[in-house]
Order: sequence, then structure tokens, then C-alpha cells
Amino acid sequence: MKTRAILRVLPFVIVAALAATSCGSSSDDESAGTDTPSESTATDTDQETADESESEPMLEGELIGLFSIDPTACSDADVTGSYFRMIQPEGSLDTGPFVPNADSACADSSYSALSPGSDGGLLTGTQQLPPDVAFDDAGNGVASGLVEPVKFFGVDFALAIDGEAAVPTVTAVGDELSGDLSAWTAYYANLVFNQGAPKPDGTMPGLTSDVTGTIDPETGAYMLEWSSEIVGGSFNEFTGVWHLEGTFTLAG
Amino acid sequence: MTTSRRDAPLIAALLIGVGLIVAPFVFQMFTRAPEGASMIEDFRPYMTPDQVEEFRGYLVEIDAAEAETTQALRPVLAEGGVDYDATYPSAATLNSTWEAIDTDMTDLLDRMDANIDNFAAVDALPSFELFPWFFVLPGIILAVLAVLALRARSAGRDGRGLLVTLAVVGVALVLAPAVFQMFSRAPQGGDMIDSFRPMMTRERVQDVQGYFITLGASEGELRNVVVPTVAEAAGYTPAEATTAFPATSDFSADWPTIVTDFAPMIAAMSDNVDNYEAVDALPPFALFPWFFVIPGVLVVVLALVSARRPEPVPIEPDHLPTTQGTET
Repeated sequence: MKTRAILRVLPFVIVAALAATSCGSSSDDESAGTDTPSESTATDTDQETADESESEPMLEGELIGLFSIDPTACSDADVTGSYFRMIQPEGSLDTGPFVPNADSACADSSYSALSPGSDGGLLTGTQQLPPDVAFDDAGNGVASGLVEPVKFFGVDFALAIDGEAAVPTVTAVGDELSGDLSAWTAYYANLVFNQGAPKPDGTMPGLTSDVTGTIDPETGAYMLEWSSEIVGGSFNEFTGVWHLEGTFTLAG
Repeated sequence: MTTSRRDAPLIAALLIGVGLIVAPFVFQMFTRAPEGASMIEDFRPYMTPDQVEEFRGYLVEIDAAEAETTQALRPVLAEGGVDYDATYPSAATLNSTWEAIDTDMTDLLDRMDANIDNFAAVDALPSFELFPWFFVLPGIILAVLAVLALRARSAGRDGRGLLVTLAVVGVALVLAPAVFQMFSRAPQGGDMIDSFRPMMTRERVQDVQGYFITLGASEGELRNVVVPTVAEAAGYTPAEATTAFPATSDFSADWPTIVTDFAPMIAAMSDNVDNYEAVDALPPFALFPWFFVIPGVLVVVLALVSARRPEPVPIEPDHLPTTQGTET
């Protein structure tokens, strides 16, 4: 009987002992923090400084994460944010002629505004694939992860990453950006147009230009731009000009 | 007949076989014919009466909208003191260029329309990709048969079975164009190639691409700016504006459909300019049946000539056997 009574009480004793140990430990920590507040602050500051100094180098090299897309502000001649323009065949990057998009909300209709899609923008190191059915019945592109579909000549074009091409990468060296966005693809009027740079086969036809840009290593504020000539199809030799602005956030 | 003279028909048959093998390489058929096949494939959806009529319907619709712009919308804005050309440049461009666009696009559709039967005839031929093999395979068979027959001769056999086979292959070559109706279909293909020549150039395709931009930009400006401005000035609701300007409203309502229908056709034209040039560089289509018939007839004749038994060689008196020799 005695033994059974001891066994019944033993668990409670163990739990009580553990609780006491735990409280004692907590109390030690509190007293340490209270006793040396300045040291604690200093330690926290040192830690923050260390974190900052650690985060800065992380915006060097290949940047894996989200390049958020700032919406376009283009109600007057000054255009900021992210946008798309299209150059007519035999045009030039500087002077166009640019295709006017009558569905653009911009004062200069040669600018088509971009706004972030459900993913918030461009994800590097992964593929933002189009849906299995990339078009609706009217030929509008429906992919909406990267950017919201953009009305262009009465029909929406959508952007996604072509799963057959290289995974998008952007690399930072100092405050300079470069990258491989060869899989950047537009879906329009039941047709698919590669708009990447370089092209998936590594070539740079016509006015296609390298992906270049800048980044503020402290804030992640970035700018990326490139141009990509369409090869084949109904817009053969037209060139898309892409300009993205926003903030880069590391994955994870 | 000497041995070399008896072998001459077989050597000629061998040369014809080699000629058939070499011809596709000379005419670059192994690259050009598949390009032709690709062109046929890409154009197939558009070379139907229904599709051509649908495109014509779009032109009629745009024509009506352009007329309405000129006759109804433009005057209202002009009365209000608006410089139409400067304020609505895309709509104004439609007005100034539509006649030329309509003429050019109608010509394009006329060419497609006129060649629907020709296209169907060419499409009914065996695939272009097989064309070079129609030369190479009979050529190999002829060459092998001729060589075997020559070897049989040199071995002292008449090789009559090989000669019969050679003649059969010749007959097959003669009959093949008839079987595939090449005598009617190939010239139709030639007519189509001739008719498409003015429209399958890079310049013409770029013109059509430009029309697309003109139409798209003007439609957007009419829908987003011109019609709403006129409607506001007239005090119309959007529904009333649709009724008041039906042609322009129809144009805008159908424009997404027009884009999705026209864009792939422009793509088919653009993507096949090089393919067209490759096909156009082939020998004239009308000659193709004769590329089989003429070698076939020749082979049959050569096989028959070669199969003739040699005439007995007259024995000259000097070579007659005599009994004098035994006396000596």
C-alpha cells in the first residue's frame, strides 16, 4: 500500500521539481537583464549591426527572392514605376517609333502600365509558370502571378515564365544588376511571344539587349530593364522594352 | 553486237538511277521540301471558304466603322472646334489610310480565295517531306538492278529476271504521277505559288503588320476617347451611344475577335516567307510529273532493248571448220 501511495505522488513531485527549476532559470535571466541593462542594449545593438553587416553582402551575387513590381505612375510625361513599350520594326531603342496602346492609362500611350500580380512581382530562382490553359475564350492571356494582365489593343496580354527556358536569375555586383530572363514570356491573342533576354537559345537578335539595372544594397530598391525583339509570328521584328522598378526581398 | 554495245542500255539505266538519286540534292529538296510541308501545314486553317469569308466580313465591318467615323463622329467634334487629326491621331490615321488598307487586304483575301482549290490539290499530294525520297528510292532500285544485270551479263547469264524487274520499276515510275493525280494537282500547286508570290514577301507582311497596328490603335482611340467624347457632348448614355454609332460599336465589340483571328494568320504569313521562297526555288511544279514519266519510259525502253537476244554472229568462211587440218 505504501509503495502504491509513493508511486501515485511521485509524478506530482517530479512535475513540481521541474517547474521550480524552470522558474529559477527564468528568474536568473530576468535578474541578469535588470542588473545590466546597458550591457543588454549594447549587445542588442551589436547584434543589429552584425545583422546589417551580414545582410549587406547577401545582396551581392545571385539574388534569389522577390523583385516586387511598383505600379506605373504615368499620368504626365514623367513615367515612374514598371512599364512596357513596343518598338515597331526597324525602329530604335531611343526614338522608336513606339506602338501606341490606346488602352493605356498613361498620358503617353506608348507606355503600358504594369502592376504586380498575385506573387507580387518577379520571383528569381523559380518558375512562375502560366496556368495549364493560358488563354480565355476571347484570347486574353490569363496568367496573373507575375503581373496583372495588361490590356493591349483590346486584348489582355499576360506574363509568365516559360518552363522550357532557363530559370530567371539576377546577379548583383555592387549596385549593378545583370541577369538571365530568357524565359520571360508574353501570352496574347492565343499566341505566345518570348520576351526574354537573352533569347532561350542564347542569341540576342535585333534590338534585344542584356538585362541590366541597379540596386540599393541597403534598401533593396532596384531597377531592371531590357529589350527583346520578337522572332517570328504576327509581331515579328517588333521589340518589347521592359522596365521594372520595386524592391528586392531575399527568399525565406 | 559486242559485249560493250549490249551493256550500253544497262549502263544508261544505271545513269538514270544515279540521276534520280542525285536530283534531290541538286535541287536542295531535302531542305526545301520540308519547308514546303511546313507552309502547307500553317496555311491549312486559313485556306477555306468559310475562313476567307469571315475575314472579308471583318473588312466590311471596319469599312462601315470608318465611314461612320468620317460621316458622324468627326463632324460632331469638328463642330465643337476640335482639331480632329491632332487630337485623335490614331482615328485620323484610320481615315487617311483605310482605303489603301482595304484594297491591299482585299487583294490578299482574293488571292487566298482564288487558290482554295489549288491549295486543296497540293494538300492532297503526298507530304512534301516525302518528295525527295520519291526520287532517291526508285533511283537506288534502278541503279542496283542495273548493276546486278551487268554483273549477270559478265558472268555469262542473261539476267532476264532482273531486266523484267527493271522494266516493272520503269512502268511504276510512269504510273506514279497518274496514281497521285500529279498531272492535275502539280500545275495547280504551280498556279498557287505564282499567285502567292506578290503577297509572300517580307515587305508585304510588314505592311500587313502595320495595318494591324493602325487598326488596333484606331479602334482603341475610338472606343476609349472619340465615342465617349461625342456621346458626352450629345448627352448620350453609353447605351444610347452604342445605338447612335452602331458600326463603330460593332467594330469595338468584335475587335478582340478580329485580333485573335487575324494575328495567327499574320503569323502564318510572316513565319512562312522563307518557306515560300524555298518552295518557289524548286523546279516548276508542272514539271514534276515528267520527272517520273520520262525516266520511267526510258528505263522501260532500255530494259526491252537490253533484253533482246543477241543476233547470231555470222561465221565467216575462213573460220569454217575444215578437214584439211587432219591431213596435215
